[in-house]
Amino acid sequence: MKISQRFLWPLTFISPLLMAEQFDYENLDLDALMGMDVQVTSAMKRTQSAFDTASSIYVLSKEQITNSGAMSVPEALKMVPGLIVRQLDNNQWAISSRGVASRFSSKLLVMIDGQSLYTPKFAAVYWETLNVPLYDIERIEVIRGQGGLLWGSNANNGVINIITKNSIDTRDTLATATTGNQINVDTNFRYGNDIGNKGSYRIYGHAKHANASKKGARLKPNDTTKQYSFGIRADYTPNDELSGLFQGDVTHSKLGQNYRGVVDATNENIAFSDDLKRIDSRMMARLEHRISGNANQMLQVSWLKQNGSQAYIKEHFESIDIDYQMNFIYQSLQFDWGLNYRYNTISFAQSVFLDSDKDLDDLQQYGGLIQAQYNFTPDTLDFIIGTKLDHNDLTGWENQPSARLVYKPIENHLVWSAISRSVRIPTLIEFNDNFKLNGTKVLDVLGTSTGLVAIDEYRIATFLNGNDKVKSENYISHELGYRFSDNDWSMDFSAYNTHGKNVAVINLNTHFEQFLPALALFRSGEIPQAAQALTTTQINLDLISVGKTTTKGFDVVLSWQPMDTLSAELGYSYTDFKYSLPYDTRPVVGFDSTNRQLFAKANYTLFNGHSLFSTLRVENSNAYNTDNYAALDLTWNWQINQQWSTALSGKNLLASSHIEYGNTNETYTIPNYIDESFTFTIMTTF
Amino acid sequence: MLKSKSLIHRTLIIFVFLFSANCNAMEKEYMLKAGFLYNFARFSQWHSLPQKDNFFTLCSPDKHFIELANIVLKERIVKGLPLKNKHIALNDISNVSCDMLFITVNTIANWENLKFFPYDNIMVIGETEGFIKNGGHIRFFLSSGKIRFEIAPKKLKEVGITMSSKVLRLARVVDR
Repeated sequence: MKISQRFLWPLTFISPLLMAEQFDYENLDLDALMGMDVQVTSAMKRTQSAFDTASSIYVLSKEQITNSGAMSVPEALKMVPGLIVRQLDNNQWAISSRGVASRFSSKLLVMIDGQSLYTPKFAAVYWETLNVPLYDIERIEVIRGQGGLLWGSNANNGVINIITKNSIDTRDTLATATTGNQINVDTNFRYGNDIGNKGSYRIYGHAKHANASKKGARLKPNDTTKQYSFGIRADYTPNDELSGLFQGDVTHSKLGQNYRGVVDATNENIAFSDDLKRIDSRMMARLEHRISGNANQMLQVSWLKQNGSQAYIKEHFESIDIDYQMNFIYQSLQFDWGLNYRYNTISFAQSVFLDSDKDLDDLQQYGGLIQAQYNFTPDTLDFIIGTKLDHNDLTGWENQPSARLVYKPIENHLVWSAISRSVRIPTLIEFNDNFKLNGTKVLDVLGTSTGLVAIDEYRIATFLNGNDKVKSENYISHELGYRFSDNDWSMDFSAYNTHGKNVAVINLNTHFEQFLPALALFRSGEIPQAAQALTTTQINLDLISVGKTTTKGFDVVLSWQPMDTLSAELGYSYTDFKYSLPYDTRPVVGFDSTNRQLFAKANYTLFNGHSLFSTLRVENSNAYNTDNYAALDLTWNWQINQQWSTALSGKNLLASSHIEYGNTNETYTIPNYIDESFTFTIMTTF
Repeated sequence: MLKSKSLIHRTLIIFVFLFSANCNAMEKEYMLKAGFLYNFARFSQWHSLPQKDNFFTLCSPDKHFIELANIVLKERIVKGLPLKNKHIALNDISNVSCDMLFITVNTIANWENLKFFPYDNIMVIGETEGFIKNGGHIRFFLSSGKIRFEIAPKKLKEVGITMSSKVLRLARVVDR
């Protein structure tokens, strides 16, 4: 009998390429077997083997997440080489890959078990209120670049899919408590059990109280945290062919922050300290049907609700997603197809610095995906072609095709290449809203002094106007990758070149002619009248889709496990980001910049029950108006016995007090200095 | 409209079944199950492990499974003994020294025809609904595409085998 070679790759357990789905029968570890899918194909478009995937993928395992001492998902993402993870303060994050990260625009699709967390108001995710208990995460799959287009819209720079554990694997009681110099208390509780002989469930709760940073950029830090979460997951498996899943989470947050906005007649940004109160809720139900060993179908219904309230901004967002997917294999052909529907309802209370032109509170999006993978030469050459076709209310139909090639010339070596097109649908900020910016000084408009300081320094009301002429941004990406895996080490290299067009930029035309009456009054010596005339003028900067961008670079990750007690990773990422802009325009997000990241990670078992986990990131970048920095996170884990364990962590060591994100013109948040922090955790399971 | 929906549904089902001939998925499932069986052997205590021959023997009436187990479990050692995978006829089990017996879905009919299985020191594992009620000790099932298992530790103890808490922690325990 011939056994398919696809299961026979000699594999190591340390490689982030291999943790997901490869069957390593050299090492029949029981926990690893529990994590393996029996299906060759999957209804969730999940990668069957990260090694065989024709995209730049990194899999963060549950062991790494647990051992790292991370306290939140964004903190855990710091362990992913090539991912840009920068803190604005103790609560807020800017995360992206292969581009420029921003608080409100990351062009990254983030999902929990396939449920999208994308908000159409901004092209971003509220990382600070994303609650997923880290000990219940099975793994986090990160795709850098456009390799995850089929997963959903706006995945231009990448996809992060957080996959949680089946509740059948968490049928115990778990409690953790953490304290430290920055965190007063962070405590978790989880209880899981069976539902008869066919199902299981878990319920969990989380509470966190944390202090503010020590040092602020402009104001005294106010980034305190008070957060409470409650969640549930239930799985039901009536038979081997059918399984159902339900999960829900509600998180109440009160997050202090410093921000700025134009709120009075001076038209000048004023800095505030305030609390952001948010309630984030989500529910998801999924039905998976194994039609045969080689065919699956899946229906998923998700609901997401986010309410945010702070001085000057009140936000309500709600979405419902319905996804159906099916896939099967016939001989050398693997075929995936699916349908999706999304309904969004968004409302922002009118604010002094943010208002909407049009009545665009409800948005619908629907479409489908299709992908075929043909194995030309058994276990050697695969060709993958697919597209995602979506209709949205803002720009109509959008098509995102991709073609990929996987070539395994010899055992343990793999080359892949891809060409893909992605679109980013305009956000409502770009399409619908007007945002009041820091006023433009008369001196800057005229380019010469009037001789009167009061006039020169007067700030003219300035608005950034979203409008319905803004188009979808288009990105064409070429990627090339190479992977190698040996017994104790592996390598993953990928290079890319992405060209963007129709990128939204700011038209700087101030319509100078509107100032001529005021100027005439000034020249005739009628100063009070000139000043009065200026108060009735305003500068409207329109968003226009005329920008072009080029992003090119590479990521390389080496993984090494010389012995059972030591595993290590070394990574380097290079990103060069450039705009090509018409005269009189400037970028909205990012600017010409180069980002270099050196990354090292090690997990060493000192002796029985004691291990050290370290991550070192050296960030060298001119993209964020900050100094370069190197930060070391170090965690000592002690498994005292089967029930009890402790961990002592030091984070942001070596870096001293530093700003990680200084592009304050892209966000109204004022960043704080990020400091060293120490935590002590005790955990029990029984 | 209803008729056309039904037609689409039937066409879809036929299409999928026609296109499901590839055996890779079943290979992978049984290779994984062989890995689980190896772990059951490692983490169990046979109160009196028979030493008729100098092997630890995994038996199954399913020849296809034994071929896969020979690949996955090649040169494995259990309880200090080399692991041997053996294809057997169920009605001949009294003449064969087996420490574990795996009854696949393809061979369950033969098992059900046995009526009576009087042997101690043999761990009996299956994968079909009601297998433990029908005399088995462990049953594999699938949950969201992953292999999970239920165990009847009391029944195991009755035949002289104790399963470790490491495995019981991962199992759905029935018939305590």
